[in-house]
Amino acid sequence: MTKSLHSVYLRTLMILMLLLPLPAFSQEDRIVVGSKNFMENKLLAEIFAQLIEARTNLSVERRLGLAGTQVCFEALRTGAIDLYPEYTGTGLVSILKQPPTGDPRTALNVVRAEFLQRWDLWWLNPLGFENAYALAVPRSRTAGIPLRTISDLVKIAPSLTGGFGYEFINRPDGLPGLEIRYGLAFQRVQAMQQSLKYQAAAAGEIDVLDVYTTDGRLAVYDFVVLEDDLHFFPPYEASGLIRGSTLAEHPELGAVLGLLTHAFDDKTMRHLNYRLQEGGEPPDVVARDALSALHLFTSDAAGTRPVSHQEGLFAYMWSKRTDLGGRIIEHLTLAGLALGLGILLAVPLGLLLERQQAIAEPVIRGIGLTQTIPSIALLAFMIPVFGIGMLPAVIALWMYSLFPIVRNTYSGLRDAAPQAVEAARALGMTEWQILHWVRLPLAAPVIMAGIRTAGVITVGTTTLAAFIGAGGLGVPIVAGLQMANTTVILSGALPAAALALVIDGVLGQVETWLRPRGV
Amino acid sequence: MKLPVMSVRGVSKEFGPGVRVLDHVDFEVVKGETLVLIGESGSGKTTLLRMFNGLTHPSSGDVRIHDKPVRIQDPINLRRRVGYVQQDAGLLPHWTVEENVGLVPLLLGWESEQRTSRVHALLNLVHLDPQQFRARYPIELSGGQRQRVAFARALAADPGIVLLDEPFGALDAITRHELQRQFLSLKQRLNKTMVMVTHDVDEALQLGDRIAVLKEGRLLQIGTPVDLLNAPVHDYVVQLLRHRSHGVFS
Ligand SMILES: Nc1ncnc2c1ncn2[C@@H]1O[C@H](COP(=O)(O)OP(=O)(O)OP(=O)(O)O)[C@@H](O)[C@H]1O
Ligand SMILES: [Mg+2]
Repeated sequence: MTKSLHSVYLRTLMILMLLLPLPAFSQEDRIVVGSKNFMENKLLAEIFAQLIEARTNLSVERRLGLAGTQVCFEALRTGAIDLYPEYTGTGLVSILKQPPTGDPRTALNVVRAEFLQRWDLWWLNPLGFENAYALAVPRSRTAGIPLRTISDLVKIAPSLTGGFGYEFINRPDGLPGLEIRYGLAFQRVQAMQQSLKYQAAAAGEIDVLDVYTTDGRLAVYDFVVLEDDLHFFPPYEASGLIRGSTLAEHPELGAVLGLLTHAFDDKTMRHLNYRLQEGGEPPDVVARDALSALHLFTSDAAGTRPVSHQEGLFAYMWSKRTDLGGRIIEHLTLAGLALGLGILLAVPLGLLLERQQAIAEPVIRGIGLTQTIPSIALLAFMIPVFGIGMLPAVIALWMYSLFPIVRNTYSGLRDAAPQAVEAARALGMTEWQILHWVRLPLAAPVIMAGIRTAGVITVGTTTLAAFIGAGGLGVPIVAGLQMANTTVILSGALPAAALALVIDGVLGQVETWLRPRGV
Repeated sequence: MKLPVMSVRGVSKEFGPGVRVLDHVDFEVVKGETLVLIGESGSGKTTLLRMFNGLTHPSSGDVRIHDKPVRIQDPINLRRRVGYVQQDAGLLPHWTVEENVGLVPLLLGWESEQRTSRVHALLNLVHLDPQQFRARYPIELSGGQRQRVAFARALAADPGIVLLDEPFGALDAITRHELQRQFLSLKQRLNKTMVMVTHDVDEALQLGDRIAVLKEGRLLQIGTPVDLLNAPVHDYVVQLLRHRSHGVFS
């Protein structure tokens, strides 16, 4: 008796021991490097990652292209990532919500002290360049006007159109603050996607744009970058932001990443960014070259072929087939898991609601609210709770899939052939028999139509999973958007669209199969 | 006097305040008779009929079957013992003729062969060739054929009581006559207690052993066709009988 109990106990314990340490072990020697979803940040993350791989025994997991500061910071704070490249100005204004300061040293000291104290997050030594905001004007627009500083711009601004990024328009250290400090007022302000501004300015559609001082395109476009004569823009020194607990566990990281102190100046960075943005070279290749140039490791000189804009789409996709194949599998896994879980919850819920008509409408309307949350916002909400990667993505997609399925299940069952239901009841079927033999078979095509809608929505929305590091076909789309490279965008968008069509077709076929004969 | 198989005592029905659909209705149905409920559209015929198998309950008064209030009977058991033909046949669209007719036997747990032979016998009874019709779906039948299937389905488990709600309702005159003729001959052979709803006075006079006339939820008169013809107690009954196309005894 005691013995058998003992052995059961032991066995359970052994199974638990096998299961539990797994995540712990795998995390132990692995550093998760994150980045935001723009090129320079990805490059810096890649530089961190390659340096760690070259100079320590740690392995590196890359979570590049997370959607913006908030997502990255939350991921770091909650331990979903260990390290990502950040800018002191962003830390000060966007994260700490403090008023901008003009002095780089003060900015660094403030964020260092505050981040350490509040979250045990460490700002490493600055990398040596600033990626600050600046205003630029195409030289063609300055003809005859002496335009060197922002103060010069103030006088002619009332006749100019500004084209600015969404973030710039909303940040206190962006346009709103600038307008106050300089008394600047444009005739019109146009919100624009980062990658379109340059072309729009060159085409004369906008007269003034916000630029980053390290933007590679400044080398190609003939723009006058205006001097910030009143020192409004806060310093944006780039640096690594790392978890204190990660540093404590792997002290060597501090020393290795310290090798990058003041390693890059603005000009070098602009050149590297140029290769990424205009040359279409992948960040890992550019990172390798940058580190080689610093003699921090020897380059294999392997190098991936850069993506030229002229290259045929299908040739490009063919050359990337292994990568795209993997993305498709990731995409289908994410969408499939979300849809599967959606069916598992929504169909029984619809059945339940059909039996509880009184609460049905409010519940369905409540679930309908999920549809109104912008998907990117929903993904962002997931991060503090579920971190980044597959889990939060599946949960968010799952929430989106519920509504069409619940609604169709409920209304399909409720409205299923009322005369037939009446006859079934009159002849002595129990409510369960009516459900099983009459309502469900007659409602099956309607339920399936709901599943089909959910399937198509899910496959489409899964492209956004890339923003929280869950992979899928959104990865090339997001990368292509940043590089303003249609070929790369399409290499993700086309398979995604094709998948949606295939899913629609397959589920439509299932719908036909499920339609009972005689109906 | 025979014990009534069904009785309706002081039955009123209101769907919400002020919406009175039945108003103090009293009558009995005795074993083996066919009682026809006649009245214009909206007079409460269907509502009354549905009280016999517990699909609707009276707001006041009570409906009894074999002297036991319907309200306290297990509805599932009751309904399996009472045949029902719905106003529009009410066949399950995704079930074949054979499955539809075999529905109640299935619910009662009959063996499969037993069900099949019963279904075949019933299809023959309602003049449908089993070989030709058993595998068809309702959508593949004419209106008259659908009504026959619904009638066969109501008889499947050999219930003592059969309720019919305008079984020959939406049919052309010829089919209607044919079915009424067949019904009459079946009625004599089967010896069931039946309540049939109609709004057709010829049908009532031809098929009913007794006729109950409903108007706006009130029972105006109940009696044999001869009683009604010879001694109508209400102007409305006189009016109603004037609409007949030919006398029963002509
Ligand atoms: N569930 C219900 N809720 C409210 N009113 C109802 C309901 N069922 C029936 N009624 C009303 O009760 C009245 C009688 O309906 P019933 O179906 O019994 O009429 P009927 O005599 O069978 O008519 P028809 O010949 O057209 O079939 C009608 O006015 C109808 O609108
Ligand atoms: Mg009716």
